[in-house]
Amino acid sequence: MIDLLPLYLSAKLALVTTAILLVIGAALAYPLAFRRFNGKSLCEAFINLPLVLPPTVLGFFLLVLMGPRAAMGRAWQALFGSGLLFTFTALVIASIIYSLPFAVQPMKTAFTRIDKRLIENAYVLGLSPISTFFRVILPNSLGGIAAGAILVFLHTLGEFGVILMVGGSVPGQTKVASIAIYEAVEALRYHDAWVLSALLIPTSYVFLLVSNKVFRSE
Amino acid sequence: MSHVRILFMFLLSVIGSMPAMAEDTLKVAVAANFIAPFEELAQQYETKTGVKVEATFSSSGKLYAQIANGAPYDLFLSADEDRPRKLAAQGLSQTPFVYARGQVVLWTSRKDLFSAKEWQSIVKRADVAKIAVANPETAPYGAAAKQALEQARLWEAVQPRLVFPQDIAQAFQYAITGAVDAGFCSLSSAFTTEGRMGYYLRVPQAPAIIQAACVLTSSPRKDTAAAFADYLRSKEAMAVIMRYGYLK
Repeated sequence: MIDLLPLYLSAKLALVTTAILLVIGAALAYPLAFRRFNGKSLCEAFINLPLVLPPTVLGFFLLVLMGPRAAMGRAWQALFGSGLLFTFTALVIASIIYSLPFAVQPMKTAFTRIDKRLIENAYVLGLSPISTFFRVILPNSLGGIAAGAILVFLHTLGEFGVILMVGGSVPGQTKVASIAIYEAVEALRYHDAWVLSALLIPTSYVFLLVSNKVFRSE
Repeated sequence: MSHVRILFMFLLSVIGSMPAMAEDTLKVAVAANFIAPFEELAQQYETKTGVKVEATFSSSGKLYAQIANGAPYDLFLSADEDRPRKLAAQGLSQTPFVYARGQVVLWTSRKDLFSAKEWQSIVKRADVAKIAVANPETAPYGAAAKQALEQARLWEAVQPRLVFPQDIAQAFQYAITGAVDAGFCSLSSAFTTEGRMGYYLRVPQAPAIIQAACVLTSSPRKDTAAAFADYLRSKEAMAVIMRYGYLK
């Protein structure tokens, strides 16, 4: 009987990451789309950095940053009384950074496509910037937000290099499907590798189909 | 159009300037625990004979899978006996030979643990939150560490605190960076520059890891490979190997 826990973990990681990145992504995409400020292009390039960095580089940075010798790891230890590395939470943090551009870019594009007059009308009618965001901007950029969510979900589902560096393959915590498949292949358990892969492919495929539909309806 | 042409010329010149692989360069697949001694051995052999030795370091499991699927290595230095034996049984390699016997140690960089007398006392401490054991399924050193933990009746109790790096090199890396409090490593890693900055305790319950090597049948330069295999068993090479914490 093969262990399906890694698949569940992958799905959970992808869902949690997507939920958090929807909020963070919107919060970052909003100023990028509507505000002018110094160093905007610097910020945008920084957000996009995970797109071009090798996952191993990102993973190595995160390993050191979240470790007990760095400020972040120490602060976590002081706050919660246990280490951050090699936990599910550490994977969520890693995935958020890794998939950040996949959330921000589609949302930013969707925000900038909204007719400026709609937003100006909202202001004229006395809506605050916050209620304008929730009542005008969000409903008019659902396509972009959905596209971002799907991309983040799939990107996290397929994440490997970063997790290999910071995960430590702890069953039930950090041994996600991609790692389990890798280990199964290494241990010559090809049957297990087949089953896990076979379950992962249709999931990814269906989500990609959905995301194509969303993009086309844009 | 001219841009395309310039790019094309550029690519051609890059490809053209790449050093051609020398005919007699030996390609050796080496288990991750043997990185430090192997680099010295390769250097020594090259100065002695002029034959270049190029190594690929990884876990024995990964290297075995690559070789079984036709990876073009000349020689395979495994971290165990089983995998070379399996290759020989499939006709993929010549008769294996033992080149080193490794030992498992528990290594730590935490200064407050330097006074410990026995490895078990470190494992039992409540403030040791994370311990690294290389994936026992693919890394022979991990399997030996697991056996020691089982024999000491600690395997079950220690489960929630275990982290499973992919090979013995990653286990050591986790221990050096402080990502784990202690890690089961090879004695040889304790002999490296970084290793000397920490503290290690021998794990006598872990069986000695008999490391075997074999010349692969698919090698186009079997004679060169066999000569290097002989060198590995020479007194000269043995002296280097033992200096890195291996037994004869």
